[in-house]
Amino acid sequence: MKIPFIIFLLILSVTASVVADPRAHAREVDQIMATELKKLGQEARPQIDDYTFCRRLYLDAIGRIPTLDELDQFIADKRADKRARLIDNLLNSKGYNSHWYNYWADLLRVKYVGDKLHHPGNYAEWVKESVRTNKPYNKIAYELINANGKLYKPGNGATGFYAREPMALDHLANSVKTFLGMSIECAQCHDHPFDDWTQLDFYKLAAFTSKTYLRVDPLPADEKEKFAKDRKILKNKSFDEWIVYRESLRVKHASIYGNGTGYSRLPHDYEYNDGEPHEVMEADVLFGSMPVIHYKMPKDKVEKLNKKQFGPQINSRKSLANWMTSRENPMFTKATVNRLWYRIMGTELVGPIGGLDLESTGDHPALTEKLVEIMKVTDYDIKAFLTVLFNSQAYQSKALALKATPPAYVLDGPIVRRLPAEVIVDSILSLRTKDPDASVATKFRWDGFTHFYDKSRNMTVKNFVDYSIASPGRAKFQMREEKEAKERNRDLGPKSLWRASTYTHNDGQHLASILMGQSTRDLIDSANTQPDIPQILYLMNGHLEGHVIRDPKAYLNQKIRHEKDRAKRMEMIWKAVLGRLPKPSERALFKHKQADVMWALLNSNEFKFVR
Amino acid sequence: MNRREFIYSVGMSGMSIPFLNAAPSAALAPGSKAKSVINIFLSGGLSQYDSFNVEVDKDVLGKSAILKSNVDGIRVSNYFPTLAKQMDKLLVINAMQTNQGAHPAGIYKMLTSYNPRSSVTHPELGAWINKALTREQDSLPNFVSIGNGRSGTAGFLSGQWAALPVRKPNAGIDFANRHKAVSAETLDQRLDILASLNKDFDKDHGTKDTQSYQDSYKGSLKFMNSKDIDAFELKKESEKIVKLYDGQEFSRSCLLAGRLVERGVRYVKVNLGGWDYHDALYDKFPQNASRLDKGLASLLEHLSQKGLLDSTLVVVSTEFGRKPLVNPNKGRDHHPDGFTCLMAGAGVKAGEIYGSTSKDGKKAEKDILDVTDFNATIAWRLGIDPNLEEKSPTGRPFKLANRGKARKTLFS
Repeated sequence: MKIPFIIFLLILSVTASVVADPRAHAREVDQIMATELKKLGQEARPQIDDYTFCRRLYLDAIGRIPTLDELDQFIADKRADKRARLIDNLLNSKGYNSHWYNYWADLLRVKYVGDKLHHPGNYAEWVKESVRTNKPYNKIAYELINANGKLYKPGNGATGFYAREPMALDHLANSVKTFLGMSIECAQCHDHPFDDWTQLDFYKLAAFTSKTYLRVDPLPADEKEKFAKDRKILKNKSFDEWIVYRESLRVKHASIYGNGTGYSRLPHDYEYNDGEPHEVMEADVLFGSMPVIHYKMPKDKVEKLNKKQFGPQINSRKSLANWMTSRENPMFTKATVNRLWYRIMGTELVGPIGGLDLESTGDHPALTEKLVEIMKVTDYDIKAFLTVLFNSQAYQSKALALKATPPAYVLDGPIVRRLPAEVIVDSILSLRTKDPDASVATKFRWDGFTHFYDKSRNMTVKNFVDYSIASPGRAKFQMREEKEAKERNRDLGPKSLWRASTYTHNDGQHLASILMGQSTRDLIDSANTQPDIPQILYLMNGHLEGHVIRDPKAYLNQKIRHEKDRAKRMEMIWKAVLGRLPKPSERALFKHKQADVMWALLNSNEFKFVR
Repeated sequence: MNRREFIYSVGMSGMSIPFLNAAPSAALAPGSKAKSVINIFLSGGLSQYDSFNVEVDKDVLGKSAILKSNVDGIRVSNYFPTLAKQMDKLLVINAMQTNQGAHPAGIYKMLTSYNPRSSVTHPELGAWINKALTREQDSLPNFVSIGNGRSGTAGFLSGQWAALPVRKPNAGIDFANRHKAVSAETLDQRLDILASLNKDFDKDHGTKDTQSYQDSYKGSLKFMNSKDIDAFELKKESEKIVKLYDGQEFSRSCLLAGRLVERGVRYVKVNLGGWDYHDALYDKFPQNASRLDKGLASLLEHLSQKGLLDSTLVVVSTEFGRKPLVNPNKGRDHHPDGFTCLMAGAGVKAGEIYGSTSKDGKKAEKDILDVTDFNATIAWRLGIDPNLEEKSPTGRPFKLANRGKARKTLFS
């Protein structure tokens, strides 16, 4: 159907106006909560003051406390809409890119996994670019599920999602958990003990992605014709030359191939009555409507093939991506909203972020529905959705300390909880430098692999061989490429003043983040916020002393140095570390040495928790 | 509140400190013969044919020569001259088998008994043992990991059962001492201020997580002030023991491991990596072999002198072995079917060889020991049922040694 141009414009402007007024949505959310509170006879929480709001928003939107200047500036602002303005400013700042990269990289498990040459640089850059450009979340998910082609081609980093986990069935279970918030991995090996999913369901879903695979070497024909002879000669001649040849070829050729045949086969040990081992299964979805698949080979013909054959590629993976990320998928939007709510408020809107079921709508279905609707209206615009949450009265009300007997309704605002690991270390950074976000990249950052890929665009077979012979071995080959890549990038300033998100796997471990419980990114959402001995020892006896408390160059110390009045100096310390003025009762602590007070504030629960 | 009160008012419930959140004292299970385990883990894949499995065809041995040991019928390669004099203390296990041929997966399998999966992280054996054996009165954590390498994850178990990492044996535990610019009095002062801030914050914002942090500070202070923490300080060791060792980092790690088991620590992992010699093996292997040769020999002597070898099971393990064929680059590639591990102490049949590979070195042949059986045997010797079960947060049950069974015949 052709839409007349004028109507098309109208639709556009309607959409735009809806998106442009997130505060109206925030009021809708507030209204729904107010109704529920009234129904339950529960009082609304008090609203927070500007100090509390400022600290909370900086932590949630950009992942660090405000610097002293930033806090003072906000407090001094007299405009009535200053909170809404701060929300807009922060969501469009470099700090946002840093903070939310950490979050999505944990979910998507951006990590070096060695074996298959999987270098996460290009993948990380793809995620960073998606955050920087505020790519709609459904598009992010679609591109990841459907990624294909060269791993190290700049811009094609979405392939890292498959490459970091090329075992097809594990990958599928994790994709479902990542994007639909459901745990179906048990059905991989047996019927799910407490959910409805059977092993048969799992294999039908797996049919969409069948024969998708990671191959690091050139394709077999290419390999045989162009490279095999040289490989053999080099292997027998010199390990160093052979391995550089192998690695450089792999950087160039590693790819995700295949896009699904629409058929799978039950495993050899299938033990239920509804199918036979090796039986061919047609693709089917777990729930909702089945996308149309255009098969090239009928099922009975596939059945006659060798047991390892699944039929020709027909791009059924694309159908899976369409189904998973569809607005009509009953889980995709719900899981996304649940996830973002949990991140900002700390409570479960619908249920556990990786353990939802089809029917659940949470403790307050009307609220869930409204938020799902808003996510759809904003076209999966994460920043727009966050703008709604941040502008709600709920977000701007007092944080609840969850006790053994919580109130009946807990969704009316955030809860007190420990900050994520990177937020703690980046908050410490905010006491050390005037511009804590200086290191956050604004464009693609090269690393050895993407750099070599780029460099080798026009290299012939002979060039590769010459390159290998001239190279001094694997380690030095890699080091050289990293060095050249670094020269192509903007200088990021001293490493000690980087935000945690700036670290790539080439930069070594970020000790403080690890101690604070940073995710190892082996599993989805596996960061932890619990204390342990090494962490506490670090906070008590570690780098805070030299990096903040006693470092005259630390920004906080530079700021307070010029203040002659002791009480005013102390006030500045309180504002800088805790984001608030000292309480009258705390003025008694002013008598202590400045260093001791700083230590105590930095070690306090208040510093480590969002309130 | 001063520091003294801080330390002694430690509550025992809901704490995230391993040795403060443990079951009450219990006697060791009947039949257990080991109190502690020292696991020297050789990541990278030790070449069995250049070390302790030399009873194979001559061409399999590559450039390695054979040395007689102090036990009739046991011979080792020429790279282990010191251990050759102590083979009466060691059991050589020559038919180890794993199903993993790549390093990360192989290391994971050896240390956890499970294949790596992307839906769950399994605890290392040390974490299982930490949880099973830790008692309320223990003043040191029961799982310590020394050196660089996989740090000793608790997997799906609570993080409190993970290893306490000691990266450099000479440096002790990171940050366990007061900052050099901070006096004891100053720390007391600071803790007073902290206590008052936290008390105030708790009024309106206290949760079980804020409580857990306050408990952890108390526990960490208790740890800093523990009379046993000097176990981590090598300079406190007697000269007689210190001089058993040379000054290499791995030897110092072994010395530390010995000190820790003397104080009752249950599981100490000592990492010694670098064994992945795909090329120029005979240029690179001797130096690393020498580290193991000297460090392990000194440790066995140390434990013997202290009377600890009867109650300490010393285990030398690796993720897989190397191929019988020396490749054109004079290295050896990965070989999961028939590799070698060692055990000593705790009543193991020392001075014997258990299991063998085919003479051509291609496969494990007699008395094959799967890595899961290997781990089951260690647990059993500590008095822990290898079928001990724990559930992951999603309710999936897992057994300590997967399907492994203890090979009791390794002990007399």
